[in-house]
Amino acid sequence: MAQVFDLVLSAVLLAGLYAMMAYGLGLIYGVLRVVNLAHGGVIMCGAYLGWVLHERLGLDPYLALPLVMAVTFGFGVFLYRVLVCHLPRGAAGGPASLLLLFGVWLVLRNAAYLLFTANDQVIRTSYSTHSLPFFGTFLSVNRLAVLGLALVIPLALQLFLSRTYLGKAIRAVAQNADSCTLVGVDVERVYAITFGLGTALAGAAGLLSATLFSFNPAFGAGELLKSFVVVVLGGLGSVLGTSVAALILALVEVFAILVLPSYLTSAVGFVMLVLVLVLRPGGLFGRPVLG
Amino acid sequence: MKRWWRAAARAKLLVYVAVVALLAAAPALLEPYTLNLVTLAYLMMAGAVGWNWMGGFVGQVSFGHAALFGVGGFVAAHVLSSSSLPSPVAWLVGGLAAGSFALGARPTLRLRGPYFTIASIGLGEASRLVFTYWDWFTGGASGLSLPLMRESKQELYFWGLGLAATAAAISMLIRRSALGLELLAIRADVDAAGDVGISAPSLQTRMLFLSGAVVGVSGGLYASFFGFIEPNDMFGFDRSVAFVLMAVIGGLGTVHGPALGAVVFVLVQQSLLASYPELYLGLYGSLLIAIILFEPLGLSGLGLRLGRRIDARWLEPRRAAATAARQAGSP
Repeated sequence: MAQVFDLVLSAVLLAGLYAMMAYGLGLIYGVLRVVNLAHGGVIMCGAYLGWVLHERLGLDPYLALPLVMAVTFGFGVFLYRVLVCHLPRGAAGGPASLLLLFGVWLVLRNAAYLLFTANDQVIRTSYSTHSLPFFGTFLSVNRLAVLGLALVIPLALQLFLSRTYLGKAIRAVAQNADSCTLVGVDVERVYAITFGLGTALAGAAGLLSATLFSFNPAFGAGELLKSFVVVVLGGLGSVLGTSVAALILALVEVFAILVLPSYLTSAVGFVMLVLVLVLRPGGLFGRPVLG
Repeated sequence: MKRWWRAAARAKLLVYVAVVALLAAAPALLEPYTLNLVTLAYLMMAGAVGWNWMGGFVGQVSFGHAALFGVGGFVAAHVLSSSSLPSPVAWLVGGLAAGSFALGARPTLRLRGPYFTIASIGLGEASRLVFTYWDWFTGGASGLSLPLMRESKQELYFWGLGLAATAAAISMLIRRSALGLELLAIRADVDAAGDVGISAPSLQTRMLFLSGAVVGVSGGLYASFFGFIEPNDMFGFDRSVAFVLMAVIGGLGTVHGPALGAVVFVLVQQSLLASYPELYLGLYGSLLIAIILFEPLGLSGLGLRLGRRIDARWLEPRRAAATAARQAGSP
C-alpha cells in the first residue's frame, strides 16, 4: 500500500512537467496547425540554457526561468519569421512542416554536441537533495517546486489567452484566420507570437526537467512523444484536459515499473502513443485534435 | 502523341538496361574499397526506394522504417546461421517477415499527415527497445555475428545491384500503372479518392507490405554484407531518419529521386563525415531545411528546373525557328 501511495505521488509530481511540455506543443498546433517537431530540441536547449546560467553565472535555476523563457520565446519568433512562415499551410503542406522542423531539431542537437559534448549533465543546487516529510513518505523540494511552477505557468497562460486583447486575437486566429484578416488582426504577428509562446513553454519545461533529470544533446525525443500523447489525449486549449491526460500518462508510466522489466518501461510511452492515436484519436473529452 | 509516349518509354527502358549492364560490368574495374561502397549504396538505394513507396507514393511519411530493416536483417541472419538454405532464400524470408511485421502497423494507416508520422516514431522506437530486450533473438546490445561469409563481396555486389535494380523497376512500373494513378489520387486527397471508388485502406496496406518487404530484404543483405549486426544500429532512429533523408534529398515521391538520394547520402557519409563526424546531424538538418524551403522535390526538382531552363534557352528558340521556317515555306 505504501508503495502504491509513493508511486501515485511521484506520478502526480511528474504529471505537472508533462502538462507543461504538452501545453506548448498543443498551443502551436491549435493555432498554426503545425506539429512542432523541434519541440524536443527546444526542451533540450532550455535545459542547457539553465545549466549554463547555473554553472557559469551561479544563477539559481528557478530565478533563471524568466530569462530562459524570454530567450526561447525569442527563438520561437525567430524560427517562425525565418522558416515556418514560408511553409505551405493545410493538408498540402503536411510533410513539409514536419521535415523542416525535424531539420531544425537536428541542427539544434548538433550545436549542443559541439558546444557541450555528449556527456550527461544535471543542474545540481544546494537544495537538490532536500525533502519534506509527507504522510509517512518524503517529497523532494525540487519536485514540489517543479509541480507548482508547472501548474502556475499554464494557468497564467490560460488567463492571458482568455482575458487579454492579444490572447483573444490568438484564440480568434485559431478559429478562423481568414475572418481575422478581414477584421484587421495582424495574423502573421499572432502566429509569430504563438510560436514564441509555445517554444517558451518548451524551454521552461526543459529547464525544470534539468533540475530533476540528467540530460544530453539527444534529450527531448521522448519528451516530444510524451507531449504528443498528452495533447491527443487531453484535447486542445484546456488546461484541465491537458492536466488530466498528463496525469494518466504519468500514472501508466510509473506503474509500468511494477509489471515490466526496467529496460522496457521507456517503451510504455511509445506504445501508449500509438494506442491513443489509433484507439482514441478524438481524445478523452470530446475535443478532437484530429481531423 | 501516343506514339511519342511509347517511344519515350522505350528510350527510358533502354537507358535503364544500359545503366544496369554498365554497373554489372563495373566490378572488373573497381578497387575492393569502392566495390564495397557501391554495394552499400545499392542496399541503401533499395531501402530508400522502398521507403518512398510509403512516404512518397502513398504520402505517409514514416520515421519508423528502421524497424522493418531490423526485422528483415535479424530474421535473415537467423535463417542463414541455423539452416543451409541458400542466402537469397534467407533474404527473401527476411523480407517477407519484415513485410508481415509492417502489416502490424496497419491500424495507423488511417491516421493522416503528422499523426501517422508521430505514430511511426512511436512504433519504431518501441520496436527498437523490445528487440534489444529480446536478446535470444537479437543478441541484445552486444549484437549477433553471422557464422561465416557465404558469399564473396563481389557476389554480394551483384545481389545488391539486382535488388536495387528490381526496386527501381517496381517503382517505375507502379508509377506507370493504374495503381500509380490511384496512389497519386490518394496522396492528393484521400476523401476525394474514396468518392471515385479508390479504396485507400486496401491500396495503402499493399504498399505498406511491399515497402516493408523491400526494406527487409535490404536489411538481410546488409546483415550478410557486414557479417555482424546489432539491434541499436539496425533498429536505431538514425537509420529511420536516413531513409527519410535519402528520399527527401533525391526527391520525395519521384521515381528515381530516392535512388539518387541514396548515392549522395552514402557518398557524403563516406567522404565528408569520415573527416568531420561531429557535424553530420547539423549537415543533414540544414540540408533538410534548405530542401524544404527552396526545392521540395530535392535533386529531382533541381533536375527538372535545369531541364526547363535548357529547354527555354536552347531548344525552345530552335523549335520556334523551325516552325517559323515551315510557315514561311508553305504560305
